[in-house]
Amino acid sequence: MSRAVVSAEKVAKVVATATGELVILDGIDIEINEGESVAIVGASGSGKTTLLGILAGLDTASGGTVILMDAVLSDMDEEARALVRGQHIGFVFQSFQLLASLTARENVMLPVELRGDTLAVEQAEQLLEKVGLGDRMDHYPRQMSGGEQQRVAIARAFASRPTVLFADEPTGNLDTRTGEMISDLLFELNREFGTTLVLVTHDKRLAQSCQRTITIAAGRVEPPQTEAAEVLSTETALS
Amino acid sequence: MRGGLIARLAWRDIRSGEMGLLLVALVVAVGTVTSISLFVDRLQNALVEESATFLAADRQISSSEATPDAFRAAAATRGLQHVQTLVFPSMVFAGERNQLVSVKAVETGYPLRGELIVGDVPFARGYPTDSVPAPGSVWLDSRLFPAMGVALGDPIEVGLAELTVTRVLVAEPDRGGSFFDLGPRLLMNLADVPATEVVQPGSRLSYRLLLAGAADELAALKEALPLNRNFRWVSVRESSPRIGSALDRAESFLLLGGLLGVLLAGVAVGLSAHRYAQRHFDHVGVLKTLGATPQQILQGFLGILLMIGAIAIALGLAAGSILHIAIVEVLASVIPVSLPAPGARPFALGAMTGLICAIAFAMPAFVHLRNVSPMRVIRRDLGIAPLSRWVSYGAAFAGFMVLLVWYTKSAFLTFWTLFGIIAVSAVFGGLAFMLLRGGRMMGMQAKSAWRLALSGLQRRRNENTAQILIFGLAIMLLLVLVLIRTALLSEWRSQVPDNAANHFVMNVTADQVDGVQATIDAGASRGDFLYPTIRGRVLTVNGIEAKAWQQALQREIQGTRLTSERNLTWSIAPPDNNKLVAGEWWAPASSAAEVSIEKEYAEDFDLTLGDVLEFDIGGQRTTATVTSIRELEWESLSPNFFIIFSPGALQQFPATYMTSFYLPKENKQFLNRLLSAYPTITVIEIDAVIEQVQRIVDQVTQAVELVLALVLFSGCLVLIASIQASRDGRIAEHALVRTLGGTRQLVGGSLAAEFLVLGLFAGIVAVFGAEVTVALLQTQVFELGAEPHPWIWLLGPVVGAVIITAVGYGSSRSLIDSPPMLVLRGLN
Repeated sequence: MSRAVVSAEKVAKVVATATGELVILDGIDIEINEGESVAIVGASGSGKTTLLGILAGLDTASGGTVILMDAVLSDMDEEARALVRGQHIGFVFQSFQLLASLTARENVMLPVELRGDTLAVEQAEQLLEKVGLGDRMDHYPRQMSGGEQQRVAIARAFASRPTVLFADEPTGNLDTRTGEMISDLLFELNREFGTTLVLVTHDKRLAQSCQRTITIAAGRVEPPQTEAAEVLSTETALS
Repeated sequence: MRGGLIARLAWRDIRSGEMGLLLVALVVAVGTVTSISLFVDRLQNALVEESATFLAADRQISSSEATPDAFRAAAATRGLQHVQTLVFPSMVFAGERNQLVSVKAVETGYPLRGELIVGDVPFARGYPTDSVPAPGSVWLDSRLFPAMGVALGDPIEVGLAELTVTRVLVAEPDRGGSFFDLGPRLLMNLADVPATEVVQPGSRLSYRLLLAGAADELAALKEALPLNRNFRWVSVRESSPRIGSALDRAESFLLLGGLLGVLLAGVAVGLSAHRYAQRHFDHVGVLKTLGATPQQILQGFLGILLMIGAIAIALGLAAGSILHIAIVEVLASVIPVSLPAPGARPFALGAMTGLICAIAFAMPAFVHLRNVSPMRVIRRDLGIAPLSRWVSYGAAFAGFMVLLVWYTKSAFLTFWTLFGIIAVSAVFGGLAFMLLRGGRMMGMQAKSAWRLALSGLQRRRNENTAQILIFGLAIMLLLVLVLIRTALLSEWRSQVPDNAANHFVMNVTADQVDGVQATIDAGASRGDFLYPTIRGRVLTVNGIEAKAWQQALQREIQGTRLTSERNLTWSIAPPDNNKLVAGEWWAPASSAAEVSIEKEYAEDFDLTLGDVLEFDIGGQRTTATVTSIRELEWESLSPNFFIIFSPGALQQFPATYMTSFYLPKENKQFLNRLLSAYPTITVIEIDAVIEQVQRIVDQVTQAVELVLALVLFSGCLVLIASIQASRDGRIAEHALVRTLGGTRQLVGGSLAAEFLVLGLFAGIVAVFGAEVTVALLQTQVFELGAEPHPWIWLLGPVVGAVIITAVGYGSSRSLIDSPPMLVLRGLN
């Protein structure tokens, strides 16, 4: 049996607001195995993005335990979490998040350089070739289209050879056709590198491409639906 | 982060303009301090050299007794140059004529600083010489030639010695000093003094040991010698209070100017660092998701700051040096002495300023970047915990303090400057806030561009209050500098007006008055008869012999005795530059015998109101009661009297009169005509002294103007930095208005109106602040009177509105003209 690379136990997130405490996540239990691809879906405001942030060690939970590659993130400070991120995690974001002052090549080199590794140039160039931007290596983000920028971001995400790749609405800012191209590229590289993929999305097609879907509603994990129930709920929604 | 990556990020930031303002602000801080201190350093040295000529030496030891040989030996062992001079009044004779002169006997080597100017024809331009009168010969002032009817080669009797007149003495460097010391000069060799036999116990002698050499050796000598009230150590500040106080004020001003320049540049550094940090929040978020630890972020951005700091310091030092060389070139014609090479201090000061500015003003913003949450990359709305105000302000305040105290070396100046700034910030923060509230009510009835602007101002009330304060502070500091400069310059100019009387005539008898007056009217500009003068001395105080009275005081009085003969005068009203500190001035019609005495004179001899003084005037006795005590402005170039009588007490005594007139340099021959016609009168030339003072004032003025220009530049930087810092929020709103259908005209008009109102309010704040600070500085630091400046009440707000609208609108214009989509996308 493959081992769990990400696990969450009774994870809660509560924030203080002017009108009192607001519960965003309420006792989430999740386990994601090595090599698995998982989509986290849910309505706006359901807490799925917050969950992604906590699983990836970008944010801290108010309670519960989060373990990523044997590292107990919930017990770590930001300094230690950053080291775990640098070593094991890759990210793809909805708004690309490339550094505007660096070229495509330099953006892809960044995670490897931050880790202090050498040979970053060659790796970066190979990855850019793979995502079809071999001729755009010296271009700055502002000289590229949204789809091209997302391809650079994907190349960057794989540059550090991550164990887990987290993606937040990776096609959210793109048109349907470009979105499809990007998601194909994402899954292709994911297979090639044997990465575990966790993505948050509204895109049904993208979610269906994953092996498993976790639905979040009002801060809780909904039980998996049968195919019939899914059809029913779709019809209800249409009527 | 690794060095290569840091360097690359820093370089890209510089190239993309993100760092531009921070870099320029740092360069200006370093450049301002370097150029000002380089210039001040060299100018001070030059001024000290120039002023040293007032002493004819670097220092003097002045005494009424012969200088002990041990003093000279001590000076010699320290490698100091030294020469002795002796000044005494003496009656000299040439045939039938005689004249009271001020004899100065000197040794070879005199003067140690400055030069002697001699000539071969009286009243002609002379030439410098490095010799002194040979034994057996004397050099005479031009005016003594007609007065005594002598020519070069004629004999003249000084005491028992007969000496030959060999040259005309045109100028000597240490002629200055108090007004009545300026008798006609006879210069002779010290070796001839014993033969004259005029130096007797009780003679009025003034010995001076002139010293020149290294400053530290001079200071060490001062410590080593047993100096007391009899042997006074004299530097230029004591010997020439006029020059001394001009130098003090100029130094204070230059320091103040430099300090304000640094403060403004510091504010610009802080503002641009905060903007840089704000624009890098997302950047840091991404780096963190990619595995950068807070520690790495901190090291990385401090590395960037360090690099920017190093570049700025190098550029600033270079710019400062170039600027100062340019200034020296421009001033080469006014500064006669060659400027000594600058030391290392100005450069060290400049570099340290850059470092302190970077650490105190920029670093808090950079350090704060480590706290950016990586979550920000997926949740843009996630706010950043505001930088702890205490950390930020505390660091800036500490930085200011270190810079100010170190730079001015004056806790006093630092205190008043900071007091002004803090008081103004506190009071006018509230005022600005209230002004903005008022703005909204006006806006309700305004046209739409105005309404848009005013509602924007109102919505961002906190930010705008801060911005008004910063604008206001910048404009205030500039106003302070302009006002202080104007006050200083007019103060200096009033001391030596261009057409001030530069010649005084004394010993005019009553029957000569009309004739002398007519001659002066015909040959020079008209002068008024100022004061009758009567020679007299104090006989008794409250019935006690003056000599016994003084002995009872049991203290040494330097140079003067109560029984010395003095110039007395009478007057209906107190002279212009005299201030009563005790008692009351007599009524104009008073026939009582009253007397007013000078404050220090009263203190020296323990005289108080109500004391009765008995005088001997030409053998006749008269008594008068002390009814007032006055303070004098010894700096003013007008005759000053220790003792002034009420008209009733002195009117019956025969007096001589004194007058003054202005004579341009090229008309000096007129003195020959005047003195030939009236050989018994005494003419005192102070034109050389006035010229010397004017030259120094001119140099200092130039320096003051330069500092002002530099600070103006810093002030503009602050304005630009502040506008830049608030630009994004403002532009985003206006871009949104345009997408919703607002015309370019509406948005442009509203932006202009917003800056106009901000500038107007900032101007009002600045005027209030400037008046308070200037009043404090003038009374506490510069010792000038304080008065309001009505003209700035209009000028301040208008200038504020015009400059801020121009800079603000100018720097936002390109964004108004670009399509709103581009603007919104660029801001994302």
